[in-house]
Formats: sequence, C-alpha cells, structure tokens
Amino acid sequence: MPTLSNPAAAHDPFHDAEGSRTGWLVSLLLIAGVTVAGGALAAHGNDADISMLYLIPVIYAGTRHGLGTGLATGLVAALAYDFFFVPPFYSFVVADPSHVVSMVILIGTAVVCSQLGGQVRRQARLAQANADRNGALAGFARMLMGINQREDLWALLAREIARLLDVRTVVLAPDPPGEGGRRLVVKAAEPKLSQLDLIDGVAARWAFDTARPTGPGSDAMAVSEWHFIPVLGGNMAHAVFGVGRGDARTPLSPEQEPLLASLLDQAGLALARIAAEADMLALGKVQERDRLRAALLSSIGHDLRTPLTTVLGMLRTIRPENTRQQHQLDTARGEAERLDRFVANLIDMVRIETGGLERVLEPVDLNEAVTAAIDDLRRVLGAHPIVVEVARDLPLVMADPVLLHHCLINLVDNAAKHGRGDGTVTVRARAAGEGLALAVLDEGPGIRAGEEQRVFGMFTRLEGSDRRGGTGLGLAIVKGFAQAMGMEVAAANRAEGKGAVFTLLIPQQNLRMVDGGG
Amino acid sequence: MRDAVQVLVIDDEPAIRALLRGALEPAGYAVIEAGNAAAALAVAHAQSPQVVLLDLGLPDRDGLDLIAPLRKAGSAVLVVSARDATAQKVAALDNGADDYVTKPFDTDEVLARVRAALRHHAGPDLLAAMLRFDDIEIDLAGRVVRKAGVEVHLAPKEFALLAELATNAGKVVTHTQLLRTVWGPGHETDVEYLRVAARGIRRKLEGDGPSRIRNEPGVGYRLAVIREV
Repeated sequence: MPTLSNPAAAHDPFHDAEGSRTGWLVSLLLIAGVTVAGGALAAHGNDADISMLYLIPVIYAGTRHGLGTGLATGLVAALAYDFFFVPPFYSFVVADPSHVVSMVILIGTAVVCSQLGGQVRRQARLAQANADRNGALAGFARMLMGINQREDLWALLAREIARLLDVRTVVLAPDPPGEGGRRLVVKAAEPKLSQLDLIDGVAARWAFDTARPTGPGSDAMAVSEWHFIPVLGGNMAHAVFGVGRGDARTPLSPEQEPLLASLLDQAGLALARIAAEADMLALGKVQERDRLRAALLSSIGHDLRTPLTTVLGMLRTIRPENTRQQHQLDTARGEAERLDRFVANLIDMVRIETGGLERVLEPVDLNEAVTAAIDDLRRVLGAHPIVVEVARDLPLVMADPVLLHHCLINLVDNAAKHGRGDGTVTVRARAAGEGLALAVLDEGPGIRAGEEQRVFGMFTRLEGSDRRGGTGLGLAIVKGFAQAMGMEVAAANRAEGKGAVFTLLIPQQNLRMVDGGG
Repeated sequence: MRDAVQVLVIDDEPAIRALLRGALEPAGYAVIEAGNAAAALAVAHAQSPQVVLLDLGLPDRDGLDLIAPLRKAGSAVLVVSARDATAQKVAALDNGADDYVTKPFDTDEVLARVRAALRHHAGPDLLAAMLRFDDIEIDLAGRVVRKAGVEVHLAPKEFALLAELATNAGKVVTHTQLLRTVWGPGHETDVEYLRVAARGIRRKLEGDGPSRIRNEPGVGYRLAVIREV
C-alpha cells in the first residue's frame, strides 16, 4: 500500500520559519559579525557606510523569520550601531540627528522585509499545501480503485482520513444496508470505537437523514463532539463520516475542510462504482439463469417427450379384449395425454417467461382456427358436446396461427376440465365494440367473485372448482400469448345459467375486413 | 414379403423406431431402421425404400439436409417432428418433404399419412382427370365441380385451389406452395387470398357442415380423405 505525504506536517510549529529560535540566534551572530567587520572598517577611517552593513542581518531576519524576529533584529542592529559607531562611542546617546535616520531605516527595513518575506512564505506554503492535497487525493483515489466492498471502503475512509488530517474518524452506515435501515452502526473508526454517545448518535442520524453536515462548525447539532458529514452516492446518503478530536477544539482547520469534502466526494464515486459492479454481477447471474432455463427447456422438449411419445403410441396400438381393459386403457391414455399437454404447457410458459416468444402475425380465419383446436382436442373432450357459434364470414384476424392455436386449445381444454362431466362447451364469436370477442363457455361451477383476474396467474387453481386437476398454467399461457398478439383476456361467470366464460378480446386493429367473395 | 412396401424409419431413439415398427408391420409394410444420417443414406441407396419416416433431430446431421438426397433416391419423405416446431415443419415441406407427422403421433394417423404419400408418389396414373370425394366430383380437365351430380360454380381461383388440394388429397400443402401454384410467384405471402378462397369453397360446396378442407395452423391446408372423427 502506498504511503501518503502528511499535509498536516506543513502546519507543525516546529517546522514553521516564523518565530524560530535558530533564526534569532543566527540574526544575533550576524549582528555580532557585522559589528566586528564595522570595527575593522572604522579603524581604516571609513565610517560613513557602516549602517548599511547592518542591513544584512536585518534583511535576513525580516525575510526568513517574520516580523517578530525581524523587528527585534532591526532594534538590536540599531542599538549596536548606535553603541559602537555613533559618537559618542560606547554609549547609547546620539549626538548627530542624521544617525537617528539610519537607525529608523534599519527598523523600517526590518518591517518591510518581514512583510514581503511573509507573503512569499505564505504563497509557498499554499502551493505546498495544494500539492500535498492533490497528492493525498490522488493517492486516496488509487486506493479506492482496489476496493470492491462497502465494508472495505468504510475501513479505508476511517484509516486514511485519520492519518491525512490528523483527526479521529468514525464511519456509520445503516444496518442492514439500504435506505430502509433505521439503525446506524459504527462500521469503522480510527482509533477503535464501538459506539457513539447519545448526542453524537443523534447528530449522526440527523446528518444521514437530512444529507447535510452536523456538529461543530455546522448549523445543526453544534453541541456534538463530532463533526458529521454525509457520504453521498447518487442523491442519497449511504453513510455518515465523523471527524473529531480528543480536546474540545473544532476538529478541522478551514483549509482542511475542502480536502475532506474532496475525499468524501471520491468515496461517493467509489460507492456508485461498487453499486454498478454489483448490478453487473447480478446481470451476469440473470444471464446464467436464462442459459440454465434454455437448457432445461430443450431437455424437457427432448428427454421428456420422447418417452412420452413412445408410451402414448404404444397405448394406442393395444387392442383391449374386454370392457374392463378398455376402461384401463382409456384411463392410461387419458393420463399420458394430460402429461403430454402439461409438458407442452411448461415449454410454452418458459418461452413466455424468458421472452423467447417469436410471433408472426398473419390473417387467420377464426372458424378455421377454432375447428383445428377442437380437432386436436377430440380425445380430451370426450363426452362434452361442443357447440361452435363462429360465423364463417367474420373479418380475418391478424394473429400468430400457432400462438392462437395454443390459446384456443387451452381455453377449450379448461372448459372441458372445469365444466360438469357432460356439460356443453360453447365457443362463440361476437362483435365487441369495434373488435371481436371470442368466448369459451362451460357449464361448471363458475368463478368465485374476486377471482376473475387471479385465474390467469401461474399455477392458480380455484378452490372447489378443480376436481379434475390441471397444470395451473393453461390460462396463464392464454394470457401471455394473447398479449403477445395484442389481444386481451377476461374471465367472468355466465350471464345466463351456471358456468364460467373466458373471453379473448381481439381489438379492431387486429381485424382485416374481407369482401367474402372469392 | 418380397413385394411388401418398404418403409425406412430414421430415428436415433430405439423406442420410437420400435413403436413405428409395431404400427407399420401389422399393416403389411416391411420396416427398415436407421439410427443416424449416415446409416440412413446407405440404406436408402442400397434398398430404395418407397417411404421414409424421418426424425429431424439426428445425432450426426440435420435431418433437413437428408430430405433432398432421399427424394432423389426415389422415396416419399414423411417428417416426424415435435408439435411446436411449425417453422421446422414448413422448412421440411419446402425442402421437398411430402408430409409430416407430429409427436406424439397417433399410429392410425401415421398409416393414413403413409398411404397418402404412397398414393401421391405412385405417379400420374392415380392423378386421374376426375377426382371423387364422397358426393363431390372434380373434373380437372373440364374445370367443373359437381356436388351430388349438380354443378357448383366456383370462382377460378377457388377451383384452382380445390384442384391443387384434391390432387394432393390427404397431404398437407403449405401456404407458400398453394399461393405460388394458384396465384403465381410473388404472391407467396398473401395468406389472406387463401383464407378468403377457402371460405368460398366451403360456403359453396359444404354449407355449414364439417369441412374437408383442414387448416393446419401456421403450415397450410390438407384435404381430408378419411373423416378423422
């Protein structure tokens, strides 16, 4: 793991040039040196520019060590000049007023130099702080890249920000994760911390709920020891980050606040990325599931239907010798056929569920379609008389012939199953508004009030009405296929007499008017 | 049994082959079996069976590829396919298959299909100029249809459609084939024409009674020879 430079170090007083003990010592030594050098010059009779020599320590102290040291150095330099080189010598008395000007210049220079130097130093420090901050941000971003779990992110936040800003940190997040989590739990802290005080907890909660900072330096919950900042990802808070100090001081200096804000912004971006990665993973799982389903589908299609074909075929070749055998054979055939229809429905349902439904609409003659469905079901219908009231001059219907065929088979099969033993099944086409309604009516017990929508659900069996069992898929397939063709379905009880009526509603845009000629 | 009609059953499932054998042999057919495409082609060339029952899901090759060579070898080809595989059925028929049987199949249905295919395959001597179905007479040369001896006037396209179905009696004819033959190339997708003409024939010839012109959803039409009720 890369280590980061510590921007807090730039503010350590020990490293600060201002008020330095060393600076003061160097300045005094320089004054002493200049005094000795001035003495040598004066011995040669040149005493006019000695005051200029004292500018050296004054400028040094002013520029390098700030106003305090600079001013003191200027004062000491002025006094030294006065004492050693201004007549009367070895006394602080000034005889010639022109020397006073020299002393004032020394002190003034100290002031100006310390001002200029301070400015330069401030700029340099600012630049250094910026560089440190950018370095810290870049390093933090690098670390975030390697994070794939929220828990790891919380730990990194607590550890690194504590180090970068020299503060105590805590991360709180709802448990369990998500917006609904009402309890904020300490996820990570530096140094270790298991629980917050009551007031601090309330402040953290407030920051999380309002997605705004709380605690000292903010406009809410200023009594809290911690300063809490929400960690935002998208538009909601995912966690609350707290900074604090052991003492009662405000946890952050003004120049640290933007850095913390930037670090938390990065954490928010990382949160969004982690969420996106989780979504991708989930998508991959969905694709894997669809692959499994397709494999299952083809397995059902082949491995289950081939033996069924053999069983059904063999049963049909057996010639019974008496009525008892005939009855046994009929039962076996009926059950095998039911199993076959169940497998067919299972395959259809998987096709609907996986969106693998391919449909090709072409003009279909409803009368032909109904006849074909009844032909396919002639064994299932058994004793049920069938009445077809579908005129032969209806408009053609734009439908997928195979999907419509399966719809009709399931509707008629359902009517035969739920109708009374030898009840009539009626298939009736009528105009309905601008479109057509194809209804299948039975003479069974009907549908209980409130169940009209539920019957089209998957694996729905109506209580008391399903003595003969069923796949529970037939009507769901009717609905799925009908909707794929732009049609709707409805269930109700018959207006006259007992029984249910299931209707396929064909809208006007599915109709093709024909002139009926040839 | 030397002169018995030979039927080649091509299916990788031994149980299905046994089932078909059990249905065909009592009806007087001689059954040959093949479990994959390579064996099937070898048998077809060596023995020239009159009819082939072909499962499309073979382990070594797509059954669709076998239709043309089998037809070339002089066999009528019946495809055995799953119920939902409408597109596959149409593709097989367009590739030259004579008809199809849907799994799970009724053995009586298989025998009827085999008979229809053989009848059609036997050649032009059976395609008489006059076709009869119960009380309906179709005079192909004179372009006249009679019901119980009384002439029924059909529109030209209706007659052409009926004639096409009647010459293929018992066999399915795809929408594409019907549209191309009756309406001409370029009309292969005008299913609407077909629906309307079929209505016209039914109305004029059959009234409200059950129809011989069977609709095979998504595939085509079949003129039923034996009432399958």
